[in-house]
Amino acid sequence: MVSVINTVDTSHEDMIHDAQMDYYGTRLATCSSDRSVKIFDVKNGGQILLADLRGHEGPVWQVAWAHPMYGNILASCSYDRKVIIWKEENGSWDKMYEYTGHDSSVNSVCWGPYDFGLILACGSSDGAISILTCSGDGQWDIKKISNAHTIGCNAVSWAPAVVPGSLVDQPTGQKPNYIKRFVSGGCDNLVKLWKEEDGQWKEDQKLEAHSDWVRDVGWAPSIGLPTSTIASCSQDGRVFIWTCDDPSGNTWTAKLLHKFNDVVWHVSWSITGNILAVSGGDNKVTLWKESLDGQWACISDVNKGQGAVSSVTDGQQNEQ
Amino acid sequence: MMDTKQSRSGRNMAARWSSENVVVEFRDAQATAMSVDCLGRHAVLSGRRFLYMVNLEIPSETPRKIGRQSKWDVGTVQWNPHKSEAHLFAASSNQRVDLYVWRDGCGEAHTSLQGHTRVISDLDWSWFEPEYLVTSSVDTYIYIWDTRDTRKPTVALSAVAGASQVKWNRRNPSCLASSHDGDVRIWDKRKPNTAVEYVAAHLSKIHGLDWHPDNEYILATSSQDNSVRFWDFRQPRKYLNILSCQVPVWKARYTPFSNGLVTVMVPQLRRENSLLLWSTLDLNSPVHAFVGHDDVVLEFQWRPQKEGSKDYQLVTWSRDQTLRIWRVDPQLQKLCANDIVEELVEGMALNTESEKTLPSQDSEPPLSPGLSSEDLQDQQEGLQAALMGGGRQDAPGLPQTLQQEFSLVNLQIRNVNVEMDAVNRSCFVSAHCGANRVRLVVKFPAQYPNNAAPTFQFVPPTTISSSMKIKILKILTDTSLQKVKRNQNCLEPCVRQLVSCLESDMEDGTAANPYVLSNPVTPALPAFPRVTNTYGSYQDANIPFPRTSGARFCGTGSLVYFTRPTTMHRSLPPTEPTPRSLSALSAYHSGVLTPMKMRTESQSTLRLYSGSPTRSDKEQVSISSFYYKERKPPQSILRRWSVQAIHDCPKSRRWKSKREGGDYGNKPIKPAGKVIIQEISCLLPIHKALGETYVLNVNDIQDTCQKNSAAALAVGRRDLAKVWALASAATSVDLSPDSDPDADTPWARHPFGRHLLETLLDHYSQMSDVQSLAMLCSVFQAQGSPQDYFTLYGHHVPRSAIFAPHHMRYPSYTSSSVTSGSCSSTSDSTTTAWNIAGRDPEHAPPWGESSPDDYRYANQVYSDPREREKEQHDMNKRLLDPANALQFDDFKKCYGEILHRWGLKEKRSEVLKFVSCPPEPHKGIEFGVYCCHCRSQARGTQCAVCKRFTFQCAICHVAVRGSSNFCLSCGHGGHTSHMMEWFRVQEVCPTGCGCHCLLQSTF
Repeated sequence: MVSVINTVDTSHEDMIHDAQMDYYGTRLATCSSDRSVKIFDVKNGGQILLADLRGHEGPVWQVAWAHPMYGNILASCSYDRKVIIWKEENGSWDKMYEYTGHDSSVNSVCWGPYDFGLILACGSSDGAISILTCSGDGQWDIKKISNAHTIGCNAVSWAPAVVPGSLVDQPTGQKPNYIKRFVSGGCDNLVKLWKEEDGQWKEDQKLEAHSDWVRDVGWAPSIGLPTSTIASCSQDGRVFIWTCDDPSGNTWTAKLLHKFNDVVWHVSWSITGNILAVSGGDNKVTLWKESLDGQWACISDVNKGQGAVSSVTDGQQNEQ
Repeated sequence: MMDTKQSRSGRNMAARWSSENVVVEFRDAQATAMSVDCLGRHAVLSGRRFLYMVNLEIPSETPRKIGRQSKWDVGTVQWNPHKSEAHLFAASSNQRVDLYVWRDGCGEAHTSLQGHTRVISDLDWSWFEPEYLVTSSVDTYIYIWDTRDTRKPTVALSAVAGASQVKWNRRNPSCLASSHDGDVRIWDKRKPNTAVEYVAAHLSKIHGLDWHPDNEYILATSSQDNSVRFWDFRQPRKYLNILSCQVPVWKARYTPFSNGLVTVMVPQLRRENSLLLWSTLDLNSPVHAFVGHDDVVLEFQWRPQKEGSKDYQLVTWSRDQTLRIWRVDPQLQKLCANDIVEELVEGMALNTESEKTLPSQDSEPPLSPGLSSEDLQDQQEGLQAALMGGGRQDAPGLPQTLQQEFSLVNLQIRNVNVEMDAVNRSCFVSAHCGANRVRLVVKFPAQYPNNAAPTFQFVPPTTISSSMKIKILKILTDTSLQKVKRNQNCLEPCVRQLVSCLESDMEDGTAANPYVLSNPVTPALPAFPRVTNTYGSYQDANIPFPRTSGARFCGTGSLVYFTRPTTMHRSLPPTEPTPRSLSALSAYHSGVLTPMKMRTESQSTLRLYSGSPTRSDKEQVSISSFYYKERKPPQSILRRWSVQAIHDCPKSRRWKSKREGGDYGNKPIKPAGKVIIQEISCLLPIHKALGETYVLNVNDIQDTCQKNSAAALAVGRRDLAKVWALASAATSVDLSPDSDPDADTPWARHPFGRHLLETLLDHYSQMSDVQSLAMLCSVFQAQGSPQDYFTLYGHHVPRSAIFAPHHMRYPSYTSSSVTSGSCSSTSDSTTTAWNIAGRDPEHAPPWGESSPDDYRYANQVYSDPREREKEQHDMNKRLLDPANALQFDDFKKCYGEILHRWGLKEKRSEVLKFVSCPPEPHKGIEFGVYCCHCRSQARGTQCAVCKRFTFQCAICHVAVRGSSNFCLSCGHGGHTSHMMEWFRVQEVCPTGCGCHCLLQSTF
């Protein structure tokens, strides 16, 4: 059954804007308007504050854990226009790198698949997207896509490291040739796909469906199937699921998941890529699943108090 | 790490994230007025006992003082705006104006202007004549003084009503405006008897008046009636636009850049201490709030821009006795130049017929209203022209002389200098941008601007590249042609194009080089004092409204989510959507946009969110300000909110007890909710329990399937239990295929063979059950390959030699395979050594360490059709379609990743053993072959030039066609079998060249 396994009181002094667990699900990072990032050990239902990271001078919007093969690394982005990459060494967390190349609030950070090394995409309200690549020896290589989204970029999400398009058509005798790709959403109401060609980032696709700012995008993890899937959500209350079966990756079709009554802020895919968590201004979390016939259905609605997540509310009420 | 103490102390400084970079307190100044000189060096603060001269370069330096004896406060103080008279300032005090001279660090009042009979309400220096000063008074007169003759005013304008403000027009030297209660009068100083125009601007008193910096006819008025109105005085009956505020507006002044406007609310209310920056193109919400002053802002002025700086500085003086300097960076400036131009233009269809032009001084032809605006190049300025009623449509279209153009052109452009020579019909334009310098000669033909464009030529010391020169020349030519086609002047548009082109080039250059991020904003940041109140200002119409709830799938089976605490819900009614932009929060700061709750709640509740944010830390504006903090007993919360995902009930209980303790009114409610971690793995198609219990025993596939079936049953996956049973049946030894292609159709070709398996994989793909997919693929691969492998190669290589290394190493076989492929070792295995190319799978199996999939990657050329058939048959025997092997690999890799997250590393490596490893592209040494007859380079055994076989065996002297071996040192060699035989007993080369082949060759 779905059950609450932990309730973490973060003691943040202001509202929380993001919470994310690491790769193994043993640590929780949270960030808040109180300008801090906190890391908790949440193993076995416990909650031990491991670090209270101060360094941002504005509300911290988002955090992102890097793949553990590079160590315990966390990135955070803030209203103060900075991106800070934190690293744990010998049990203490310190700044590994501070990126100040944006002219306005940095709204989103996302680590790329580990196959590409330590690579971070950052989307900012100055309209640009930066791609930071760790070149070892503590150096970071920066590529910037200026004016990626007019007015501002609100979200970035990497594509999984799979061969674009059909997996079947790969030439044999070679290692698969992964192409770095990510998706971004912005205040121009667009979802844009980017890919790296000859070391340069190029706009690959422009997906139009939303009628207001795109607030979040999420590229679904791949389990090895040839379909690429992206979820996008917007101020207009709509959530779209974009899919592409086309080997060349050019034909994306949109399917409206649902139209909510308020802004939708966040979409998140389960590890198998078949469940989508949607949250927004209405303070609710809903889970959506694609049935075998390709229809998306809400499998839980916190508000309805039925289905699997009824136990969420049950859990809450039991606590009371 | 920043400790809290530091942040506290920083807070006292009240520096904010709004680009304020200087705060200086003058505790005893008690100044009522302030002015910044035209060079940007000094600000004068006028107190009752002293005038303080603040050095704006080093504002913290103790200010110099000028003593004054008066029982009256200074009403207005103003520096002379002309550089030649920059040492002069005027200060009004009751009925008198004192003129002060400030030189060499000390100053004195050198003369005074007396004439008014009541208190002076305002004074203003002329923008055109440095000696002229206008004063307004409650005595109903407006006097224009020539400071060279201080005995009496040179002009007296009689208004009948007392004036509160008087301001010279910025573009027309004869024109000025005064405000009288709710009216505005426009004067021509040459017609002192009566005003040229009356504008019934407001119903209540006008507090502020400001002329548009670029348009002669436009002015802005701010009034007690809670609005700022924009006027074209030629159309006095209808304002151009209105900015409605909830509170009276003290001052509204245009910014020196783009389309900005800064407002200050009426000080008497003592509620709103922020200055708001607006874009006049979008008056719906301010683009920025300068937050920091703890008391009312008495005066604000723009400091003249420094050479080479893109930033503007706003100097403010407040009753809190602090002087602040705020940096307005290009980013912020840009916000005032909105891109909703077209809409506005459409909505602003102006009646241009009612044009009334003030005759300007002298007998020059009347200035065309479009003159100044006509030439403005970029979009927003173009809009401005349209907005401001001028516009080019009502420009009379008179072709102007070059001289006129030169005298009127507005070249107040940063980093640009233009030397104009009307006699020779040419001018020099010098511009610099970063390291780039450009000097350009512009020559105007005689017919200009009648469809005759000027010529442009670069001259030293221009430093830009030639490609850039070409680009710029093209832009300039295009721009000028466009203009002269319509008989319009083109100098200013061209210069502006030049500058923007240079600037954009520099930006591109910095973007391309990550290490030279000489962004105009970034380097300045560290110089800021520590920012404490993070939500000080919201310049940020383009920053999304923060998320206050969210859910994320994490790890493998967890959902982490946070929501707003129970005690907080939105202050907006639920029917209104959450705002999209962070600037919505500024409403809570400025009081301009009152949220619904604020309007309806009683005064006492109002204090909750709107109380002076800087008074108390607890009430600072934050995202939580948006949410209404409910203060009701927990019972009602339970009732109201039980249906929602609310997680703070323990807190509300605590809170209740506190409330009973009686101090709840002051106790801040925690704005941070809890973070909930929920186990949702039951919703996923994968199971950690199965991950643990599934086995993969390659040596006993049947057993593996049976065990896995039992494991699936144990976790309740009956479908999987059956699938494993099917797998067990399909992998039965009875069905194992014959090695002879002609013997029988392999089971894989049977409907229950590969087809069945594919259907199963399809099904689990749709379910996203990567666990089952990966396990099935592994098992069927294990079932397929070893037996094939055994039948194929078993008689050559001991079985263990294949399996042991193959299964022990993942993923690093490729390198060994490549090196051993080109020059195999002689010591390891005497039977297979010295083979160069494993051409023949029958006789030369791939190297000891190769995967069963290797044959897939070898580029095989079949000379024998039987081999092709065999290959075909080998493919057909497999239950898993080899064509999809890469996809199967992805299943396994993905599942491996999940096992890793579960911490099942051994299980992970078991699965990953079945990932095929395509060899890396060959990167090692390649041996070149030279034909032994003609010495030309050859590929393969036959020379392309002489058509003979390229080499002979050193033993039998027959051309070598099959496998061969060579010494890397002397290059001699021959048939593998001959070489093998020879070196079994010999160490030197069989040709007698004397090479110790076995010793020389390092392999």
